[in-house]
Amino acid sequence: MKPPKRALQFLRWFCRKDYLEEIEGDLIEVFEKLSVISPRRAQWGFIWSVCKYLRPQFMRAFKFNVHQNARAMFRHNITITYRSFLKYKSSFFINLIGLSSGLACTILIYLWVSDELKVDNLHAAGDRLVEVMERQVDNGQITVQSGTPGILAETLAQELPEIVHATTVSWTDNYVLTVDDRNVQGTGVYAGKDYFKIFSFPLLQGDPSKMLTDKKSIVLSDEMAVRLFGTAENVLGKTVTWQHEKLFNISGVFKKMPAQSTQQYDFLLTTEEMKEAHPWTQQWTNNAPSTFVVLREGATVEAFSAKIVNFVKDHGGEKGTTVFATPYSRLYLHGRFVNGVEAGGRIEYVRMFSIIAFFILLIACINFMNLSTARASRRIKEIGTKKAMGASRRALIIQYLGESMLMALLSMACAFLLVILLLPQFNLITGKTLTVPTDYATLLSLAGLAVFAGWVAGSYPALYLSGFNPVAILKGQLHGSWSELWVRRGLVVFQFVCSVVLIVSVWVVYEQMQYTQTKNLGYNKDHLLYFEGQGNVTQNLETAIATVKNFPGVTNASSIGHSLMEFGAGSSTSSMQWEGKDPDLVVEMENVRVNYGMIEMLEVQLVAGRYYAPQYGTEDTNIIFNEAAIAAMGIQDPIGKTVTLWGKPRTIVGVVKNFHFRSFHEKVKPLFFNLAPDGTWMVMMKVEAGKESDVIARLEKFHKDYNPGFLLSYRFLDQDYQAQYVAEQRVATLSKYFAGLAILISSLGLLGLAAFTAERRLKEIGIRKIHGATNVGVVFLLMKDFTRMVLVAIVISFPISYIISRQWLDGFAYKINLQWWFFATAGLAALFVAWFTVALQTWRAARVSPAKTLRSE
Amino acid sequence: MKTPSLGEFEELVLLMVGALHDEAYGVAVLENLEGHLKKKLNISAVHVALKRMEDKGLVRSRFGGITEDRGGRRKKYYVMTALGKRALDHQYALRNSIYNLIPDISFSK
Repeated sequence: MKPPKRALQFLRWFCRKDYLEEIEGDLIEVFEKLSVISPRRAQWGFIWSVCKYLRPQFMRAFKFNVHQNARAMFRHNITITYRSFLKYKSSFFINLIGLSSGLACTILIYLWVSDELKVDNLHAAGDRLVEVMERQVDNGQITVQSGTPGILAETLAQELPEIVHATTVSWTDNYVLTVDDRNVQGTGVYAGKDYFKIFSFPLLQGDPSKMLTDKKSIVLSDEMAVRLFGTAENVLGKTVTWQHEKLFNISGVFKKMPAQSTQQYDFLLTTEEMKEAHPWTQQWTNNAPSTFVVLREGATVEAFSAKIVNFVKDHGGEKGTTVFATPYSRLYLHGRFVNGVEAGGRIEYVRMFSIIAFFILLIACINFMNLSTARASRRIKEIGTKKAMGASRRALIIQYLGESMLMALLSMACAFLLVILLLPQFNLITGKTLTVPTDYATLLSLAGLAVFAGWVAGSYPALYLSGFNPVAILKGQLHGSWSELWVRRGLVVFQFVCSVVLIVSVWVVYEQMQYTQTKNLGYNKDHLLYFEGQGNVTQNLETAIATVKNFPGVTNASSIGHSLMEFGAGSSTSSMQWEGKDPDLVVEMENVRVNYGMIEMLEVQLVAGRYYAPQYGTEDTNIIFNEAAIAAMGIQDPIGKTVTLWGKPRTIVGVVKNFHFRSFHEKVKPLFFNLAPDGTWMVMMKVEAGKESDVIARLEKFHKDYNPGFLLSYRFLDQDYQAQYVAEQRVATLSKYFAGLAILISSLGLLGLAAFTAERRLKEIGIRKIHGATNVGVVFLLMKDFTRMVLVAIVISFPISYIISRQWLDGFAYKINLQWWFFATAGLAALFVAWFTVALQTWRAARVSPAKTLRSE
Repeated sequence: MKTPSLGEFEELVLLMVGALHDEAYGVAVLENLEGHLKKKLNISAVHVALKRMEDKGLVRSRFGGITEDRGGRRKKYYVMTALGKRALDHQYALRNSIYNLIPDISFSK
């Protein structure tokens, strides 16, 4: 009969060795005696007794001394780290500045990217929420547009079973809402009754199932309600006046739409109201509103897309029109379509900045690696002594990794402060409202990032330094190996490749932006002030224009259907017919309604014929095209020829030169000017330079008297123009900073390395100087090596930056040519920065008196 | 010199160590105590008391020879030290002196 093995093992594990034999012996004796009577009771008795020995008196000492040692080592490592920071202040600060600016930049980009990824991704229906868009064949090119027939949404919902909800959302416009005497201007749209079931914007008041059902109902944002009523409470059922014209009942209040939504409305009206106010939206040939659909669980977007391809055509739409569906959440980042196929969009900027962040962090880490390995020789005695005294390689690796992680955490703290300081500026550039993250998950992942950066930066020096042979070190036999030198050089080259590529890219972006700003657009966008006519202004348009024209400082005035930059926002038609037209050919043309004098005021040049003018009598049956339209129709000698528009004949009286009414991303599209004073409500005037504020003040007064109750919203045309390139402008500004940062960090690294090299070669320099070398000669000697590295970097970076710039420029239909001197100048810039940095350091080393350096030994 | 304190069970174990003079080891003490006290005890309790008294210097211990019994483990024998005896005497005298103060009357039930 044997006592239970496990219990005995357990006893042996925890019991004091000097008590063990006695206790075991006694336990076994008791067990043996008892097992004669009852083996089972003996077994349990034994186990129970063993448990009773579990008290401090009988416990062995567990190896607490090991832990004490680790703590001591930890303290020791911290002390050593602290001392080395103190001793090598310059490299400490180079590392700190480099790493923290790299990390700060990474954090900022991370904030921006994560915000971009969230945009329009906040609706409950997720991927089942799709936008139905149109593809139109236009001159052999397929264009994609979000404008669809206003009747599409409800017809889809009636006919297709896989649709849960569908809504039309119209174009946005600014309208005046009035309560008592208070006039407030806000952005409004027409939307279907299921709007709030499709988009999960939180509702504060109102019944979602009854909202927007009644034709005369309106839904306000809480902000709008406060502006109108002074409170967002209890406004349901109250009445507001729209445009001093119609009355609407408030049927709901929603919370102001979050910044991460591209839809930003102050109020919504019903589609029923749209049908009445804009009956043209109910025809299948007219496209303007957007269509949104929520699919049933299990229905795929692809299958749905395939099913609805000919939906518009089958209901009497244009022949060349097909429709398809795309997940709504995708559109923000993947909103560009080339020839009808999705081709990137903002996602490219997201990717680009992520890559930039990665490389900047990498450059900063490389600095750290380079400096630590370079400084190894200074600390080599420390390592040798430690190893000789029995430090394991692991302990040394831990020491150096710990040192770099401490450095990284310190830098992260600095970076975080930097982010707090820079965020307002960053928000200004990016047009976002980012906030400093304070949630644990983000902070933890930032700490994780710091540890990771520290690990990356510290791994090479840690592995490299700990691998030295102690005997060789202490005998002083250690010399830098070739591979070590190559790694260090390679890293410097890599840093400069990144910097040069960034400089070239920034330059190309800048040049292209300059090009878009200064290129002759074919019209003059400067000093054109316009405002949207409402109320009295639209009713007595000619009087308004005449009054405005007489303002001092206004040289000319006329009116137009919409701001020039909004062309293509739902005002195109494909119903133009001409002699010899291929019946299958669909040519989509911009329809620009103008008043007399408008084309002249825009300074759009005539190629042939004439402008519209009152002296020619009625112009209803005349038309003016641009060159692109004439080319698309293939008409020779166009003046005097007849085309058919909306079933009525029109005589071509003029042809104007192509002008860039859309952004440079696209080719100039066919366009015609249609003289229709009744359809123009943008009053535009040419203002003399320097008189803008006078004119605006006068205009405000005039508008107040002439159009009481309506609020004036005026803009300059060139502002609208700038807005077209806002994404590029942001990229240009941001990448400018990032390129500067990359150069800064790279040259910091170079500074450190140069200082180190100069220090190592102090004796050599001394001897050279004794033999008659001049200071300048010494500086050149030291710079030779660095120059070679930077030159190699420049050579490598050229093809890379060429490919990148080429790709970016391909997004523009009108673009600059890449010039050789973009590259040459970027390369020279990098070289000069490198020279300057190195010279700064070596000059100091060269000036040291040789007597000082050669005194010892 | 101050005599170390003695707990009730410690006192019993010490008495038994003294009584078993030179033959007192864990199990022997346990069994004799169980015999006298007429109740079951756990061997660990005896060890706790023995070790504590050894630390106080009331008993001394030595290992016995290796035998076939007990899985080859040696016994550890305890003997009372002079200090131990004095502690017992002191305890005994103390009890007696107080005991003698009890008046000789009959106590109520």
